[in-house]
Amino acid sequence: MTSKSSYVGAPVVRRDAFEKATGTAMYASDLFPDDFLWVSVLRSRYPHAHIRRIDTAKARLHAGVVAVLTHEDVPVNRFGVFVKDRPVLCDDRVRYIGDPVALVAAETREAALEAVKMIEVDYEELPAVTDPISALRADSPKVHEGGNVCRQTSLRFGDVEGAFARADVVVEGTYTTGTQIHAFLETEAGISYLDEKGRVVVVAGGQSPHRDRAEIAHALNLPPERVRVITPYVGGAFGGKDDVTVQIHLALVTMKTGRPARLVLSREESMLSGTKRHPAIIKMRTAASRDGRLLANEVEIVYDTGAYAALGPAVLDVAIENCNGPYRISSAKIDAYLVYTNNMVASAFRGFGAPQVMFAMERQIDRIARRIGIDPIELRLINAIRKGDVYVFGNRMEGSVGIYDCLRIAREHPLWRERRSGEGLEYPWLRRGVGVAAGMKGYTIGALPDRGSVSVELRRDGSIAVSGSFTEIGQGVVESVAQLTAELFKVPVGKVHVLFADTERSPDTSVTSASRQIFLAGNALRKAFEEVVERVRDLIELDTGRRPTGVTFTEEGVVAGADEVIPLGELAERLESRGLGRTVIGTYEVPKVEPIAGTLEIPHLFFMFGVTIAEVIVNVLTGSVTVPRVVAVIDAGRVINPINFTGQIEGAVVQGLGYALMEEAKIVNGYLQTKDLSTYLIPSSKDAPEIEVIPVESYEEEGPFGAKGIGEVGILSVAPAVVNAVAEACGVEPTSIPLTPEKLYWLLKEVGVVDKIRGAGGRLE
Amino acid sequence: MGEFRFLLNGKVVTVKAPPCYTLLEVLRYVLRMTGTKEGCARGDCGECTVLLDGEPVHACLTVMTQVEGRSVTTIEGIDPQHPLVRAFVEAGAVQCGHCTPGLIISSYALLSRNPSPTEEEVREAIRGNLCRCTGYSKIVRAVLSAAGV
Repeated sequence: MTSKSSYVGAPVVRRDAFEKATGTAMYASDLFPDDFLWVSVLRSRYPHAHIRRIDTAKARLHAGVVAVLTHEDVPVNRFGVFVKDRPVLCDDRVRYIGDPVALVAAETREAALEAVKMIEVDYEELPAVTDPISALRADSPKVHEGGNVCRQTSLRFGDVEGAFARADVVVEGTYTTGTQIHAFLETEAGISYLDEKGRVVVVAGGQSPHRDRAEIAHALNLPPERVRVITPYVGGAFGGKDDVTVQIHLALVTMKTGRPARLVLSREESMLSGTKRHPAIIKMRTAASRDGRLLANEVEIVYDTGAYAALGPAVLDVAIENCNGPYRISSAKIDAYLVYTNNMVASAFRGFGAPQVMFAMERQIDRIARRIGIDPIELRLINAIRKGDVYVFGNRMEGSVGIYDCLRIAREHPLWRERRSGEGLEYPWLRRGVGVAAGMKGYTIGALPDRGSVSVELRRDGSIAVSGSFTEIGQGVVESVAQLTAELFKVPVGKVHVLFADTERSPDTSVTSASRQIFLAGNALRKAFEEVVERVRDLIELDTGRRPTGVTFTEEGVVAGADEVIPLGELAERLESRGLGRTVIGTYEVPKVEPIAGTLEIPHLFFMFGVTIAEVIVNVLTGSVTVPRVVAVIDAGRVINPINFTGQIEGAVVQGLGYALMEEAKIVNGYLQTKDLSTYLIPSSKDAPEIEVIPVESYEEEGPFGAKGIGEVGILSVAPAVVNAVAEACGVEPTSIPLTPEKLYWLLKEVGVVDKIRGAGGRLE
Repeated sequence: MGEFRFLLNGKVVTVKAPPCYTLLEVLRYVLRMTGTKEGCARGDCGECTVLLDGEPVHACLTVMTQVEGRSVTTIEGIDPQHPLVRAFVEAGAVQCGHCTPGLIISSYALLSRNPSPTEEEVREAIRGNLCRCTGYSKIVRAVLSAAGV
């Protein structure tokens, strides 16, 4: 039969699209179990306060209230993936304004909402520390007893001092990046109930059912087997549902009351209590030679992780690993701090620590190019890493490295080639600019142990059922897994059933984050396929006494040994009747090397790369920036589904534009001022540009059919490309995102552009 | 409790609900019709867009007294074979899908009054429907393709 791929690379329409488009798809927030209790959460009123007393008497007496729960009801009141520093319900202290203090479970929504207001908490307000630089000072208020440094890492590679001494050009800058809010359209949501075996079942939006189960079991002091977590379709996540959100609260209510419960956060609660992208302060000094070789990078990274560590320690590692960009730099000095403050908690967000440092580094690169007088893409090409290169940490780049090709394609793109030949703009106060930036990030979880399993069941009707704990957060993993299965077993994709994200039924494919699921689930699937091939050999050997070598799957069925073709349904039947079993489990363990001393997960072996070209039009009178066109050149490995691929990249580009220009979480002394989507603005259809996505299919040998991760790569270089374009257009050097009209206006005023235009405008009248 | 009589997807319904309830609260909490999604409940995101006498409105900003005696169309009332549904599915305009029902309603309203919109008109018509996944390109393409433009 043909060996050419029929499903990998095909624009297969995803199976969940129809039910989602017709409103029949069920999300966690759409579930209302029989006889459930409405749950409402009382949250802290202060960024930092001591709790003297919690009086729940009035709330308990309120009509319809079934339970009011506080820290006294929580068996083990600390959770968290890396550091168990986060209370399920606050006991002695509240550390940020979203911190949960008590839960009300009531028969009606109104009773739950009213009773929450009747809980009396006697707070003693404490001094709050809300910027990470102050938090690092010895006399700062302490967020946790161990101090405010959640994690600190210092790395030195190569001869940094020597490199700076021989450098022709040294560029220095301090860059700041804002707090980005995920703003997924479905807020954190879930339901819970006890099943017939007395297990507590939590059905909630999330990214990691098995890890969420472990967190619930730990907090409730239950064996994990007493807890079942199911993740239905999730209305967006982007990292914001990587940590536990509503899950422990739901399980607690159900354990205490024996009743089903429902908890769906309001938008305001989501904005307050949900995790964020780490706001960052990054100082960089970069040395280069006159001929454009990058020599050394000196970097200081400060990430504000807010009140609790969450996934911050790993985020800091990703920042460190990627702060030198996709370049050959022989020496680097990196000092990185993850700092506790009384701000809201920061954790995973698409890019996971990389977009912040990428903004800094890619601004540096453009400034160096200007200083040397070299084309910014040429400068990047001179330094671009290639497969087989040894990166600055001494790690060899063993996976596919497509950055060189991405840059070459970007250089030849008309938007770049004709960047200065744009026709005159309509008004004298408009400026056009085109900017470029590169990005990189490891996928999988690097030097941390990373493995995943899926099961494959051959069904007697000739179909195949695949199961894993990957979650469908919108990215399309379910369809991609179906396509890979169809490709391996040569069955129509419609004959592949995918069961996902249920701790009771799906093997642990671990977390749906770090752009890792296609790589993990896909490779586990390959292992399962190999296992099926062995079963086929066992079967033929049992039947004929001879063990076949060649086993081939074709559209008609499996061909093994003799010319006999066994249709898939018959194979399932025969495996079953011969007692060989027709379900296998495939487990894949990601190859890794020892972590660099002082780090958790550096280095990764597998990286994704990309280049963004952005066109901007700047109104120098108002400082507003519009982005008519973006080109994303993405090292995607082999593309499994071009619709899903371009969908991921287009979405990431627009999220990146929000990060670059609009999304400004205003936080004053620890209080969030932008608590809704009319004050925290995410891009609308009118803000989104025309986007061209160009894949560079750098085949990844270790990936399933050459594929690699794509979930995060699209966002990495958007903000620096946009800001580089603004710099090119107006001759300013912005160092802070989001680059709001206000920030840009003052920069433009500083360099005299505004007054010049005002004068010119006057003359034009 | 108030009692409200209106046309819901072509059928007369009578609903008992607190008089302060919004149409969104009635749809989701009283009738448990969950095709209409809740994204913010304050008119910012457009997820709960439904048709009131054929005009797109935020169900979360529409109180039940406004609905009395009028006609409401939700996503459940849109023919699953409608070209818009097919276009959204085939163009890859659906990712997490939480914003999709509202977008289809807004697009339906647009095509009802303007069967051959330009790209600019599509972008204008859906500007109140936030989507965090797609970057809007495929959504705009889907609406244009459903219109046969």
